[in-house]
This record gives sequence, C-alpha cells and structure tokens, in this order.
Amino acid sequence: MNQTDRPIANPNVVLREEFDDWAVLFNPDTADAIGTNPVGVAVWKRLDGTRSLADIVSEIKNSYEDTPDAAPQEIAAFVNTLAEKGFVGLELESK
Amino acid sequence: MPEELIDKIGPMTSKVMRTPRSLDIEITARCNLRCRYCYFFNNPAVEYWDLPTDEWLTFFDELGALGVMGVTLAGGEPFIREDLTTLLEGLVHNRMRFSLLSNGTLIDDGMAAFIARTGRCTCVQVSVDGSCAAVHDTCRGHGAFDGAVRGIRTLSRYRVNVAVRVTIHRHNVDDLENIAHFLLEELGLPGFGTNSAGYLGTCRLNADDVMLTIAERQLAMATLLRLAEKYPDRISASAGPLAEGRAWRRMEDARAQGALAFANRGRLTACGCPSNKIAVRADGAIVPCNMLAHVELGRINHDSLAEVWQNSSALNQLRNRHAIPLTGFDFCAGCSYIPYCTGSCPGLAYAITGQVDHPSPDACLRRFLENGGTIP
Repeated sequence: MNQTDRPIANPNVVLREEFDDWAVLFNPDTADAIGTNPVGVAVWKRLDGTRSLADIVSEIKNSYEDTPDAAPQEIAAFVNTLAEKGFVGLELESK
Repeated sequence: MPEELIDKIGPMTSKVMRTPRSLDIEITARCNLRCRYCYFFNNPAVEYWDLPTDEWLTFFDELGALGVMGVTLAGGEPFIREDLTTLLEGLVHNRMRFSLLSNGTLIDDGMAAFIARTGRCTCVQVSVDGSCAAVHDTCRGHGAFDGAVRGIRTLSRYRVNVAVRVTIHRHNVDDLENIAHFLLEELGLPGFGTNSAGYLGTCRLNADDVMLTIAERQLAMATLLRLAEKYPDRISASAGPLAEGRAWRRMEDARAQGALAFANRGRLTACGCPSNKIAVRADGAIVPCNMLAHVELGRINHDSLAEVWQNSSALNQLRNRHAIPLTGFDFCAGCSYIPYCTGSCPGLAYAITGQVDHPSPDACLRRFLENGGTIP
C-alpha cells in the first residue's frame, strides 16, 4: 500500500490548548512535547488524512489575514518537524 | 526549524494552565507495610477507603478529555490493587503517561512485563532506605528490604525505568555512604533521590524516634554533599538534607556578601505545584497536593475537574500565596536570610503551625543555626 501526500495526525498525540494563545502537542508514547501558536494549532487540526499539505496551506491563507509570503515553507517545515518526531504520518492509499 | 510555529517548552510554573498538566493520585488507601514515618497514614483529615475500578476509569476518561499528560499513582501501595492493570490500561487508553510510587515488595514478573508493554511508564519509584535489611527494615518492617530489591531487579529485567528514593531518618543517617554504594555500584542504578522523614502522618506519632536531630541533619547534609561530589549528577533532592545543604550554602554566601535578593524570594514562593498539577485522595477527594490532604476542593465524578482547577477559591488562594512577604511574619522578624528564602513547603508549614500561609519552621535556616546547627 502506498503513502499519499495527505498528512495525518498520530491519534495518540494530545493537543493542550492553553489560555494565552499557545498550545502543547504531547506524544505520550515518547514523552516528547512541542509548543506551538494558534496557526500551528490550526494546522494540527487539519492533519486528518483527507487534506494535502497544499490544501492545508490554502485553508490557512484563507483563514488568516496578512499571511506572510513564507507561510507555505513554514507550515511545511512545521509538519516535517512533527513527522520527524512521530507526531504525524502520511495517510495510506485506500484500495 | 520553523520557529514561528514552535515555541520552546519552558518550566511553565508561573502561569496557570487551562487544565492541570499532571495529577498525583493516591490510588489506594491500603498498604502491606506500616512504615514508621509514612506521611500518608494517620492523617486525621483523610478517610481511608478505596474507590471502585469504574469510578477511577470514569475519572481517567475526564482526564483524557482535558488533555492531562501524566499521572503519578501512589497510595498506600499501588501494587496492592488487584485491578491495577485495568487502571493502567485506562490511563493508556486516555493518552497519558504514568509513574508509580511503591515500596517494591509486590512487584512480580507479570506486573513488570505488563508495565513494560504499555510503553507509557515514566518510572516506578521504589523506596530504599538502607544498604541492607538490618537498616531498611528498622522502620519498614521485616522483609521489606528483600522485597524492595527484588522489585527493583524485576523491573530492571523488563527494562522498566526505576527511580529509587531514600528517605533519611535517625536509623539510616549513618548508612548513607553504604546506601550510595549499594544503589549506584552494586545495583548499578543511574541515580537516586533523597528526602527525609517529615512531620506528617505517622511520622508525627514517631517523631522523636525517626526525625533527624539537628546534629543528625547536619551529618546527613555533610555526607550527602560529599557523596554528590563523588557521584556527580547521580544523587538528587528537591527536599531534605541534600536540597537544604545546597540551598543553605547559597543563602549563607549571599547573606555574607550582602548580595541582592534572589529572584522570587522573600515571599512564600516555594510551591509552584498549584499552577500545573493537582492531587486526588484515595477516597476521591480532589486536593491541591497530597501534603495538603485536608484542603478538599471537590470530589471526582461529582465535580468538574476543569471547574475546580479554574475556579476553586481555595486553590486560587494557594496560587496567590507567592505574594505574601516573609517580612509580615513574626516568625521571620529580623531574619537576614529573608531576601534569599522561599518559606518552603506549605504542607509542612500547615502540619507544624496549623497555617498554610506560613513559612515552614522545619526548613528555617535561622532556626537550624540557632539550635546549634552549622552549614557544611
């Protein structure tokens, strides 16, 4: 079965949204934690295996005003970091 | 690294989180030992009975929904619960990690293998208070040492992370060198932690027999500071003689040099726990901390933990304790260490003085010196 280009969040990872606009992603299997901001949270919530990275970037650009030009690269780097730490995988092709 | 989207995780002690990051849960009020300095038993504020399995599992579902990251299960002796594997599965199912605080004597191969398989165990802390049975069993009872060592070896065989805690008291203060050798060289553990018998629970009933005198406390400090140099980064302490020895050296140096006040000192700032963790007693009462077991904030599965966490006036009062200056206490009047002092643990302060918002006399450097102690 081949991988798609649609990232999907590790279902074991916990998202903790805090009061003051920051959040923590916690992987209980590794005890790794990553702090992130509201845009990171918005990205995380879209890692459902149905959207490609390009889809996510597009949705983020449509959701936030004044998105910086580097947003696509930053979002890609963020997802890559999540993937390196086992927080994210790629959805498999369905038969 | 996409710095815009990723923040470093700091100690997170100053801000109150939306929900607790972790919990200390006394999962049982039962224990197979009756240690002479146990903080848990003989607390008149506590009801000693256990909740059934389903009550805990329901509560663990709530913790999972709140994004709690980790739970420490203590007691009593957690391994005495026949349903412990079911409870641990409940934690794992709700995406949490866990630690267990144990006397080690009830840990067998099956349990160690189960814990290892979960992949979620941060550590099992086993209490070892002597280098041999003759010392360890003095306060814990016959067979406790052999059981603890057997438990450590069993856990290690299954590659479960073991943390050892040494509680220092009158009957092992002369054995510290041997204990360090036994734990670090014979058992080959990476390190161990230390504290000392505190004036709580059963220890209050046996205080004269188990709590360190000034001279013994000084001996413990000197020995542990020396051992900590001999075994760098392998002996730790957040309370007790080693922690005090380190803190009091810094305080005395600062006082002697007329140094500026340390950050966040001079007020009741010792306890940061209420900003990121909370505790639950074996009977289901939600309390700020196991050391403040009389401060009931609510009851699990009856009160919303998030509601208690965010809106409990007693908890918020504890969080605001850091604003209370030490200069306002008669106990601290004229003390030259105030700019460097935190007032120490509110749990011990309450046990000794009957007041939570008071410095702990047990951890008072000036009193230690006035009573004949010296800083090693």
